Amino acid sequence: MRDALAAVALLLACVAAGPAQAHKVVASAYAEGALIEGEVGFSSGDMAPAGTLVEVFDPAGARLGETRTDSDGIFRFTPTQAVTHVFRADLGAGHVAETILAAADMPGATGAPAESPAPAAPAGAAGAADIHALVAAAVRDEIKPLRREIAAYKEKNDLQAVLGGIGYIIGLVGLGYYLAARRKLRQG
Amino acid sequence: MHIVDGALSAPVLVGGAVLAAAGIGLGLRRLTIEKIPAAGILSATFFVASLIHVPVGPSSVHLIVNGLAGLVLGWAAFPALFVGLLLQAVFFGFGGLLVLGVNTVAIALPAVLVHYACRRGIAAESPHGAAIWGAVGGGAAIALTAGAVALALALSGAEFVPAAQLVLFAHLPVMAVEALLSGAAVLLARRVKPELFGLMQAEAGHA
Repeated sequence: MRDALAAVALLLACVAAGPAQAHKVVASAYAEGALIEGEVGFSSGDMAPAGTLVEVFDPAGARLGETRTDSDGIFRFTPTQAVTHVFRADLGAGHVAETILAAADMPGATGAPAESPAPAAPAGAAGAADIHALVAAAVRDEIKPLRREIAAYKEKNDLQAVLGGIGYIIGLVGLGYYLAARRKLRQG
Repeated sequence: MHIVDGALSAPVLVGGAVLAAAGIGLGLRRLTIEKIPAAGILSATFFVASLIHVPVGPSSVHLIVNGLAGLVLGWAAFPALFVGLLLQAVFFGFGGLLVLGVNTVAIALPAVLVHYACRRGIAAESPHGAAIWGAVGGGAAIALTAGAVALALALSGAEFVPAAQLVLFAHLPVMAVEALLSGAAVLLARRVKPELFGLMQAEAGHA
């Protein structure tokens, strides 16, 4: 009994230390003007080392090109085809990150900078396009922290998941007992 | 320590799955009714321990505690660690379902090896001697797991030596922490519940 208590205490200590984030590789990609921008990093919040190779494939696995991360773990890629892009980064030691940017989310597909003509402004088409680009850039900068927060939120392991997992294990122990007991009854 | 989906080639995945299935089958047959609670607790410990991070340079590694599981459970570590890995893959997204077999072998096989290498030591007369063997087992299990991960990567095309160096180097602090943890756990168990390893001796007697 005492060692069971000790084990429970150890488990609780582990749960208390739990808020540490998962150690896995995360990547995201999004349209940034005419470019695709993305991030590669560990879910602990550390970004991928500068110069990490990011390979780009189409959904069928054909290679579209490659790019490298900068010192903030951010990579940029200029798309040449309006297809779904798959970005893949190998951080070594079995850490492979993959992120997919669907064709519908591609730069241009949303129509933001290129095709939607701004309401005819007296300044003329060129001026309107300038304003549009400025607004698009400002909005992108504004939502960057949000995007990061959402990415972090997706990786969050809350107490429910931990307790749920432990619940499954307790259930399996019960199942194991049942099977073992049945075997014993049959033998005896 | 978890290899993720997409890092390994198909033959390695299949080989890992077959080995894991064999290990789990053998482990379930060795899982006596007396060992079930210990298996459950160690499975839960393994499941949660992966959330404890040790910062290493630019990255971080997490605890594994497969050595301790092996010392107590022997072959039964296979099903216990498999369940932990499965739940980690489902709940936390660690590793993945396709590489579950490879990860199970990489983590549970060292546990079994440590069990056979250290079981005499653990049963030593003095609890302190047993604790030292426990520490050796805890550290060795991590080193073997790192080697197994590097081997799986090497079989899939990565260069073995750099991969092994990278994985092993990253896990040196974990080895130290786990050696201390296993040693302390063995010492505690020998003091308060010597039967935990008495079970092991009984098994060794008739095996």
